[in-house]
Amino acid sequence: MADTTVVKTQHTWLQRLGLDKKNTQKWIFLFVAIVPPFGGYLLFTLFPNILSLYYAFLDWDGFTEPKFVGFDNFVTAFNDKYVWRALGHNVIFMLVIPTFVVLISLLLGYLISNKNYRENKLLKVLFFFPNVLSTVVIALLWAFIYDGSYGLLNGIIELFGFDMKNFYWLGEERTAILAVIPPWVWGGVALYVIIFANAMLAIPKSLYEAAILEGADHMTRLFKITMPLIMPIVKVAVLFLVVGTLKSFENILILTNGGPYGSTDVIGLYMFNLAFGEEYRNYGYASAIGMILFVILVTAKVLTDKFLPKKDVEF
Amino acid sequence: MKEKHTFMDVIWRVLLFLWTLTILFPLAWVFYESLKSNPEFFQDIWALPTELQWKNYTKAWNQYGFGQSLLNTLYYVGGSLVLGMFFTTLNSYALTRMEFKGRKVIWGLIMLSLFLPGVNALVPQYVVMRELELTNSLTGLILLSSLGESVFYLMLLGGFMSSLPKELEESATMDGATLFQRFWRVVVPLSTPGIVTVAVFKFLGFYNNFLGPFIYLSDPKKYPIAVQMYSANKQMEYTADWVTLFAGVTISMIPCIIIYILFQKLLMEGATMGAVKG
Repeated sequence: MADTTVVKTQHTWLQRLGLDKKNTQKWIFLFVAIVPPFGGYLLFTLFPNILSLYYAFLDWDGFTEPKFVGFDNFVTAFNDKYVWRALGHNVIFMLVIPTFVVLISLLLGYLISNKNYRENKLLKVLFFFPNVLSTVVIALLWAFIYDGSYGLLNGIIELFGFDMKNFYWLGEERTAILAVIPPWVWGGVALYVIIFANAMLAIPKSLYEAAILEGADHMTRLFKITMPLIMPIVKVAVLFLVVGTLKSFENILILTNGGPYGSTDVIGLYMFNLAFGEEYRNYGYASAIGMILFVILVTAKVLTDKFLPKKDVEF
Repeated sequence: MKEKHTFMDVIWRVLLFLWTLTILFPLAWVFYESLKSNPEFFQDIWALPTELQWKNYTKAWNQYGFGQSLLNTLYYVGGSLVLGMFFTTLNSYALTRMEFKGRKVIWGLIMLSLFLPGVNALVPQYVVMRELELTNSLTGLILLSSLGESVFYLMLLGGFMSSLPKELEESATMDGATLFQRFWRVVVPLSTPGIVTVAVFKFLGFYNNFLGPFIYLSDPKKYPIAVQMYSANKQMEYTADWVTLFAGVTISMIPCIIIYILFQKLLMEGATMGAVKG
């Protein structure tokens, strides 16, 4: 008899803590499901983001004793002409790349979703393909295109009878900045052409049929039905592209590493090379530039969100 | 809604064809040049190979250490995929279908990642990894790649799981199934399409990951294929051995092409969803 009372009291004690068998299982499950991924997120994402604010105020090469220098890094960055040059390139990319990506994607997306060409299904599959290629492969493909001696671009131009005299598109300051744009646009279109085409296909056919009955021509249908209805998605695309062109640097790192003579340097790459490059390292200064970039990105996000048309249309 | 094809349609079709060419031609060109000899290539970049030089592929394989980097890739991609899928599946279920204290806080902190650009955290992340002695190690890279939260994956898989009817689980509970059994026997099998989608995206992400291995691995013997191709291109600047590099690039693209052939529909749907809901 004594035994059962002990078991009973234990049971209620456990129950009071919510630790009966069913609950124990729930807590074990939650522990395994939440702690490793969320812990990893805290450790590898959130914590470094907070740390980067602290690092921005240090003079530190990553190995010796860090020295607190207040706002020195920010002052240096403000007076650093390389920072301004890189930011200038970012502004060019930010204006040019989203514009081209969106316009080309809209046109091609419209053609493959609204025209009944036989090849459209196949084209959609082909257009999306560059998405599965790595940045390295895309950069190498374009490096082959731009090569001075054996590149495809010079080869094509020479077919038309011009002698390019081994012109290295990525090796000249004047052309390198222009030459990094097409690969970027090409990769971007691969994604957004499909997104726009799918959005256009999702518009109910009945809307078009009604419009045709009322005598609306092709252009009216395009600008009064299609465009307004996919505007919210175009807006998201512009937002992603603007933020992407401000922060990406992998493609440029592989294509030119910012060269020649810094003519293709962007702010993310400048920061990366300060921290991980082959020359001297300055984690503090790199972090300060990272913080500046952070502020620019958040501002760009808010501004893009604010200035793009806000008309959400329901159908 | 059939319309007659007009003159404009000719222009549109030419335009579509030209864009297709920008995608297909460089790939086809790299492939057929990879079967030429170097002198043949230097002489004429347009001509088709006269004799197929398959030995370029053997050479690329040996010269670029593809054997080793394939093993590295397999270990890194495989490890990250298995570990990452295990946690992403559990995590999505817990965060979308279970009630517990602190759930809202966790969601809020995860959504915060949408505002974090990530670039500014590269340096401190490296320092954290170095303090944990996880740098220059593929295992360290696996941990970095597979432990974490991603709004995109949570949305894909969690969205899928939360669309499953609650009654399924309830009736399983009535039949005496425990939480583990419900998860493993009911939720996982029904979520297979979502799980496969996430796995395909993860595979491509890991296989194509350049920056991570580039930052964290200092020993070239540990390079996975993506970084290996980058350094092969750097070497080529001195050796001028183009055809071998072409062969190497072709080899490195094969896994992506296979994945694309198998899963293109799923990839397109996933990418579209990411943009629409993001």
